[in-house]
Amino acid sequence: MEKRKHLQVGEEGHLSDLRRGQKGIILNFHNDNAALRRRLLDMGITKDVVVEIKKIAPLGDPIDIKLRGYELCLRRLDMKGIDIKVVE
Amino acid sequence: MKCALVGNQNSGKTTLFNALTGSNQKVGNWPGVTIEKKEGVIKGTKISIVDLPGIYSFSPYTTEEEVSRKFCFEEKPDLVINIIDATSIERSLYLTTQLLEMDVDVVVALNMEDMLDKAGLKIDIEKLSSELGCSIVSISAKKNAGIDKLIDLISSNKYIRNNHKMIYPQEIEEVIKDCINHFLPEQNFKRFSAVKLIEHDKEYSVLLNNHLEENIKKLEKKFGMDGEQLIADQRYKYILKVKDKCVKSFPRPESITDKLDRIFLNKYLAIPIFICVMAIVYMLSVGVIGGLTVNIIDMLFNGAETLEISLFSASWAWEVNFLGLGPWLGGLIESSGGSVWAVSLVKDGIVGGVGAVCNFIPQIMILFTLLSILETTGYMSRISFFLDRVFHNFGLSGKSLVPFILGSGCSVPGIMSCRTIEDPDERHLSIILTPFIPCNAKLPIITLFASYFFGGSSWAISFSLYVFAIVIILLFGYILKKLIYKGHNSTFISELPSYQSPSIKYVARDVHDKTFSFIKRAGTVILLCSVVVWFLGSFTWTMTFVDGEKVLIAESMLASIGNAFAWIFYVMLGGNYSWAVSVSAIQGLVAKEQVISSIAVIAGLGEGASGADIFANPLFSFFTPWSAYAFMVFNLFSAPCFGAISAMRKELGSVKATMKGIAFQLGVAWVLASIIGGIGWLVA
Repeated sequence: MEKRKHLQVGEEGHLSDLRRGQKGIILNFHNDNAALRRRLLDMGITKDVVVEIKKIAPLGDPIDIKLRGYELCLRRLDMKGIDIKVVE
Repeated sequence: MKCALVGNQNSGKTTLFNALTGSNQKVGNWPGVTIEKKEGVIKGTKISIVDLPGIYSFSPYTTEEEVSRKFCFEEKPDLVINIIDATSIERSLYLTTQLLEMDVDVVVALNMEDMLDKAGLKIDIEKLSSELGCSIVSISAKKNAGIDKLIDLISSNKYIRNNHKMIYPQEIEEVIKDCINHFLPEQNFKRFSAVKLIEHDKEYSVLLNNHLEENIKKLEKKFGMDGEQLIADQRYKYILKVKDKCVKSFPRPESITDKLDRIFLNKYLAIPIFICVMAIVYMLSVGVIGGLTVNIIDMLFNGAETLEISLFSASWAWEVNFLGLGPWLGGLIESSGGSVWAVSLVKDGIVGGVGAVCNFIPQIMILFTLLSILETTGYMSRISFFLDRVFHNFGLSGKSLVPFILGSGCSVPGIMSCRTIEDPDERHLSIILTPFIPCNAKLPIITLFASYFFGGSSWAISFSLYVFAIVIILLFGYILKKLIYKGHNSTFISELPSYQSPSIKYVARDVHDKTFSFIKRAGTVILLCSVVVWFLGSFTWTMTFVDGEKVLIAESMLASIGNAFAWIFYVMLGGNYSWAVSVSAIQGLVAKEQVISSIAVIAGLGEGASGADIFANPLFSFFTPWSAYAFMVFNLFSAPCFGAISAMRKELGSVKATMKGIAFQLGVAWVLASIIGGIGWLVA
């Protein structure tokens, strides 16, 4: 598995870089897949939303995140297109 | 009056639908797609209700959303009942706000009121109702609470009418108003369409003109994001405002779900626990129940002198001398002067064929009970969560492991368990690949050939076939994903629902519905297919009955059809034309056990004939270890039995897709077997 950066509070990076228990605020997202992008928007991944990494699957992927009071699973690959800033 | 039931997946929609309609339901498919459509009548009223697919939004990207959108526009329901999960209200209201943009009245059923306390939430329902501008009824679909109140409200017609509240900032509302003013008077769902224009929804682009396009562009520039993002953003902003006014949350200790997930999703424990769970499901549905019931059902249909029941490695036998339905009906026809062939038609063709399929019913019932429990408790979602990484490279879903494991017992429940896979392509692929796993009924073929030709190493040969099957499944999963489903970027976006105790009522209903639809097929399509195979095998072209004494099966129509198809087996049998082998393979379509009994019958031996006797017969003496292995491989991968084919037909949703699947399976079987047989031929 590729080595991930360890982001500190205040640093910016991709959602996929966050570790378990870390929280990030969504800054922006860049994604070529229109359907995926819309689906993420529909699920509440919009600007300024705070996302927490809750659970990671035993094999390292996918990842369960908490946002807007519920939990959502995403693949690491799909989380790469989401820019965040670490808040906690 | 006509209602539609709309809600997110896992919102309790099906449970509410069952509670509202009772047993008054009609299940079918939405036109052109394989999504189930349920219709019913609300208890004690004349109001009809349609259960729309579980959706999160009305985007133009998924079939479920397309179907729901079409229904709302074309069928124009008088009322939409929107069930929302109170514990994830923020995300749930996203769909509600979209419904309120349509020209339809909305009643919100706030589900899981009983769970609010545990989630640490308190919702001011009256305030929420006035904020949203629609009626809200608090219910618990699972505990059947608040359902009467909901029905009263709907039938009394006293719910709040939709007044199209403005929820966006003024700049956006102005553009919406401008759009509405430009629409033709007959344009329906004006507010909804205007919002879709801002979102650049392709289906609405015909409504666009230069002036509106200009306005939307200005709007996007002002907010610094494109229309689609802008609308989602502002919609959630509005919801957040509403939520702040109406919902109070209290800090709660770590939830039970999180505690359980520490175990079930633990890095080291997750896979062992999963293996245990699957072993239990397999043992109960295929092993224990299969072993206990197969002979009983066979006895009921075909009669038996002794009844043998096995549980694990123990088995018991009783002298029963039970006549059975087939022989009993046969005797009845015989005593009333019916001909021999009529007796055989009823006994072997109809009762025997359907009986072979009905053997599956107890297994299916247990399987569906267990699957339903796994699903309602929330564990099924965890399975796809932690196995996704392994399978998505092969075009399959994390849940594909379930059909593969069950398929090693019987393809029918395996194929049926594919319906828990959400992604249509992954589901499709899993359905077609599941029959490749050697099922119980294929074991006698493997046993006979492997033990005669490979003696002491027969276990290694059997094992190699399983490994072969797995390799082929992954290989073809990968190839088909690259070839056929290329361009389709599979994504995995799903919820991990909270763990729940299963509802007995829901499970019972689920099992009843699914089992019944299988029985219905056994009585129609499968019956017809078995009778056709019986007819071809029991008559010569001059319509003389094959009695096995004066007229042998070698003279039957099936034998000449077998002859016509014998070239298929030419290479894999090392350069031998054999009508006998080809007839046996065709009879394997009724049930795979029949391959061996057919070989024995053709060789003029009883059903339990030994390998030594069979392969001493000139009709089968050409078999070599190579061609034996090739024939095993052919039977392993070729079209499954009628029961499994009809399960494929049901789950794939179309005859065409089923035919393609079968053609694919036959192709794979033929190529692999021919290669193996061909090598053997060359070596010799």
